[in-house]
Order: sequence, then structure tokens, then C-alpha cells
Amino acid sequence: MNVLVINAGSSSLKFQLYNMEDESVLAKGRVERIGMESAIITYEPGDRPEVREVEEVLEHTTAVRKVLELLVHRTHGVLSSIQEIDAVGHRVVHGGETFSSSVIVDEEVKREIKRLFDLAPLHNPAAMLGLNAVEANLPDIPQALVFDTSFHQSMPPVSYLYPIPMVLYKKHKVRRYGFHGTSHAYVSERAAAYLGRPLEELKLVTCHIGNGASCAAILEGKSVDTSMGMTPLEGLMMGTRSGDIDPAIVPFTMGKEELTLNEVSSMLNKHSGLMAISGLGSDMREVTQAMEAGDRNAKLAFDMYEYRLRKYIGSYAAAMNGLDAIVFTAGVGENSAVLRAAVCRNLTYFGVDLDEEANARREPGDREITKPGSRVRVLIIPTNEELVIARDTHRLILEQNRVK
Amino acid sequence: MGQGIAQMLAAQGLEVVLVERSQEKIDQALKQIEMSLDKQLEKWAITAVEKKLILGRIQCSRELQPLVDCQMVIESVSEDVDIKKQLFRELDAVCPKPIILASNTSTLSLTEIAAETGCPERVIGLHFIYPVSKIDLVEIIRGLRTSEQTFAETKRFVENTIQKRGIQVYESPGFVTTRLICTLINEALHVLSEGVATAEDIDAAMRIGYDFHYGPLEMADRFGLDSVLAAMERMFREFGDLKYRPAVRLKQMVRAGHLGTKTGQGFFRYDEDGDRL
Repeated sequence: MNVLVINAGSSSLKFQLYNMEDESVLAKGRVERIGMESAIITYEPGDRPEVREVEEVLEHTTAVRKVLELLVHRTHGVLSSIQEIDAVGHRVVHGGETFSSSVIVDEEVKREIKRLFDLAPLHNPAAMLGLNAVEANLPDIPQALVFDTSFHQSMPPVSYLYPIPMVLYKKHKVRRYGFHGTSHAYVSERAAAYLGRPLEELKLVTCHIGNGASCAAILEGKSVDTSMGMTPLEGLMMGTRSGDIDPAIVPFTMGKEELTLNEVSSMLNKHSGLMAISGLGSDMREVTQAMEAGDRNAKLAFDMYEYRLRKYIGSYAAAMNGLDAIVFTAGVGENSAVLRAAVCRNLTYFGVDLDEEANARREPGDREITKPGSRVRVLIIPTNEELVIARDTHRLILEQNRVK
Repeated sequence: MGQGIAQMLAAQGLEVVLVERSQEKIDQALKQIEMSLDKQLEKWAITAVEKKLILGRIQCSRELQPLVDCQMVIESVSEDVDIKKQLFRELDAVCPKPIILASNTSTLSLTEIAAETGCPERVIGLHFIYPVSKIDLVEIIRGLRTSEQTFAETKRFVENTIQKRGIQVYESPGFVTTRLICTLINEALHVLSEGVATAEDIDAAMRIGYDFHYGPLEMADRFGLDSVLAAMERMFREFGDLKYRPAVRLKQMVRAGHLGTKTGQGFFRYDEDGDRL
């Protein structure tokens, strides 16, 4: 079975085509600058050379058509006909309280996604565009949706509610949802396999540290807490996002600097985090390099970033009354040995015994960076959200076929 | 206001052609757009990358010819009926029929402007309010012969494409916004010259008492006292009603060259950035 995975943004669309027999990637790529006369289409068919085209792509339906054309192209194609695509899986950022697992698309599901536009005004409409674009091109192929939030739907009210008037939850569903769920779920399963113990017996903290960053407390295979909240702004300090701050700063700053709601929201989402403190940029590599060259602001930014991450890990050990392993994943988590080392060196009290050499070694695949006998083990597990989406889609289609 | 509209459209992700009469005007417009974006950058409203993208979407021209590729043309030359008429004659000749021709007028007769063209059905009014990027309201003005289709498309453009609230108004001097606000400003001037209260207190009364962002006098300074005077005179002439007669104090200040933020002196004093001193 071949599954096409789509991750649609408002002006971009990423795709990967999986052969689910062996979970191999047949082709992948992206369409950028949708809506422009000079959209960029990048396409990598397996191990053959990359194809790059610049042409007019005014909306998502055209973008999907271009992708399909490339997949069956005479020279670049990996399929002989479009019929060889058996299902399409989409990434959707917000599943609200409705979707606690992935679903097959039907009319009711589409209506619900639209109802959720309010909660994720930037992301869900884009997913809807991707969904409709696939439907217009491949009307008879089943589609599935995989949500960033659904893994965290297992959180208990104790961690998902905010201590503010309940009417806001009842009326507007103001609560914590958490994000990066597919990634936290994937790496926790891999971690259990690596440790050779059943997931149901483990207490894990997974740290998805990329441009956006979140931690999750995973108890017996279920997310019981996560650092992102109603929106991806809460929690850890990130590249350009502030993470946790005193909410009273918002009205105070609006008054003092005469800011509008949009301005203050843009300030917290795009002008804060590493960028604001380092004054250099939002990229951890850049900040680390500057720090090593002696830049004091870069050092402060790094230290704050690390400190806030470490506090979350500590608080989740308290939340679960114990900790078996910490997992690092995503861009920064997988690649920044400096950050991992700084976190681990300050967690010796918990029983983290860092293997400095293993941590500094750059190698692919799942691996451990603590010494044998470390009471809490620390793992690096490269995430693969696309694969989770492909697997969920595959599973749902098989189940549906069985029912029929 | 043309550059404000161009900037707002580009910020919404649209490709914009900005037509000015001379290279000098183009340079000036671009400089102002850049300054305004820098101000937004300072207020954290946009990022440096977004600023670059916005500027990249604005293409400048001294000719009307590039407009043939647009879907809509928004005219925003000075509020003078003869200048506007002349321009609409030219636009009508250059732009093929499906292109909507919109005029950003606050007080002039749209029917009169539309009559200059061979196809008044495609002419409509779009009255933006300063500062365009911040104020999410547009008056959509129907001339006598504006077609239903032109109106529907324009309304869709305002509400979906640029995401502002569009109100439908029929042709009448000052429409809703200018008529109400200029009358209020004029009345505030009467209150001031009668010595009822100081400028500071008049503004405080309306700002604090009725939740105005600026009081009427500061608002006048920001519009430009000459523009307020011109609007009042036009309404006075059109309606013939005494309540629109411009206050003597307004005329005096315009004659003295105290035009508000643009000269640094109006009812209050301002620095070059237009901030109150």
C-alpha cells in the first residue's frame, strides 16, 4: 500500500510518499510560495537527483496537481499511475477536544475541522485547503487526518485546566491542548523499545526541541502533561517565542508602549525567545557559536533556554513521582550536544550520569548518552512525524477495509 | 494616503503596482513606506523578513500601463474633482473592462467621477481611514450606476482579501465617517473658541468620557486642519445647512499654517514622527 503524507501550510505544502510494505520513502518534496507567480516546487524521487521547478501555483489544488504530475512523470516519476496511491494522510495542528486519535475524513469530520478554526486560526484553515485540494484531484481515495494535539488528550483535568473562571472553558474551550503530539508519541515508543522495557512501565520526559519546543510527561505510555498549552506559545523558551511569562506583562506592555493586540501577540511569537535575548537570531547553532566566541548576550540566551528546559524536566519528574528516561528529539534536541550536556550536567541529583563522549559523538539513529548504570537514562531519538502519519493512515484504511 | 493603501495591500500578501506622477514622488512614497514599516518593526508588529517581503511586493511605475494586469485599481490622488475626473478618463482608456476602478474619496461625488468613463458600472468608491494599516473599516460607496456585480466583488475584496469591515454607503457628501467626525471636530472648535474649556480638557472629555482613541482636536491635527476645512466647506456647500459652516478658528489656523502633525503645530505640538510633545 502506498500512502501520500501531506503537511499543508497557508502558502506551502510538504509531501512524502511511503511504500507501507517496508515503510520506505519513495519520494518527497515541497511546494513553496503558493499564491505567487513564482512558486518553487522541489521534488526528490528516492535516491535519484532532485528536481526543482519555478512556476505559477496560485492555490493548493494546483499545488497537489503538480505533485501528482511529478509522482507519475515519465522520467522523474516513481509511480506508473495515480491509482497506485492508496490513501492520503494529512497533518492537522489542532484537533480540539473532538479528536483524541487519527480519523478517516468524512463530511462530519470536515465540519468539525471548520468549527476548530477559532482555536487554530493560522493552521487549521491551511490543513483544510490541503484536504480539499487532494479531494479535488483524487476524489475516490480515502484520506486520514493526524492531529498534533490528539496524543495529549489523555491529560487529566488537573493538568489541562487553567485556574481561571470555568465559564471560559465551558464557553470557548480555553484549556491546555499541547502540540507535537505525533512526535512525543513516536519517540516514547522508540524509547521503550530501545530500553527493552514495556512502555506501560515507564516514566518518560520527552523533549521535542526544534524551532518550536515542548516537553511532555509520559506516564505508562500516556501523555499526562505537556508544556505547550492552548496555543504553541506556552511553556519552554523557543527560537522566537517567549514561552511562559507573567500574563500581566501583556496589558502592562500594551499600556506602556501603546501596543495593539496584534503587536503584542507578534512580539511574543516572533520577536522573543533566543532572538530577543541574544539579539542575534533564533537559531540555536548561531547562538551557540556566538557564545563560544565569547558573546555575553548569546551566553545569557543559551543559559535561560537551558535553565527553563531543565526546570520543566524537573517539574515533570515531580508530576510523575519519578523518572526513568529523558528523550531528546527534533532539530536542536538531536543536534545540540552543548545544550544536552548543559541540561544533563545539572541533573545529577536525579541520577543522570552523562557520558560526555557519547553525547558529543555525531551519529544517526537512536542512541544513549548516559553511562551504564545511570539511574535516569538519557536518549537521543530522531523524530519522524511523517512516518507516524503514514502509519496511522495505513492502519485506519486497513481497519476500514476489514469492517467493509 | 496612496502609499498607506499600497503598504496595507502588500502586507496582506497582494502584489501591488504603485503609480506616482514622478520619480521623485515614487522615491518619497517608498521612503515613507519603509519608515512606516520600520516603525512597525520597532513595535514588534512585523519581523525584518516580513518587512522585506512586503517591500518586495510593491512595484513602482510612472505610467498607467502596468495597471492592465491588475484586478482592481484604487485611485488616491488629491481630493480635487477635476484631477480625479481627468485620471478616471485615462484609467478608462487604459484598463480593460473587467478591472474595477475604485476611488478613495471622502466627500466627492462618485457619480460625477464615474460619468467621465465609458463604463460607470465598474466604478465604485473605497474610502479608507487613516492610518490604513491600523483601521479596519472601509466605506464602500455606490455611485448611481455602480453595478451589483462590482459592489459584490468589491465587498468580497474588502472583507475576505484585505480583511476589513466594509460598510455600504450611498452617495452623499462625507458619507458616514467624514460627515460625523468633521461635524464633531467643528463643534469642538466652537466649544474652544467660546472659551467653554481648554483644548486639553475638551480632548480629555471625549477620550476618557467616551472612549475615543484621540480627542476631536488631536484628531483634527492628525487629519490635517486643511483637510478638515476642505471637508467642512464641501459639506456646507452641498447641504447648505448652517451646522456645517466651518468654525472661524479653523480657518484662522489654516491661514496661519498651523495644519497639525504635518507642520508640527496644530492645537497641540508634535515632533517629526507625529508624536505629541
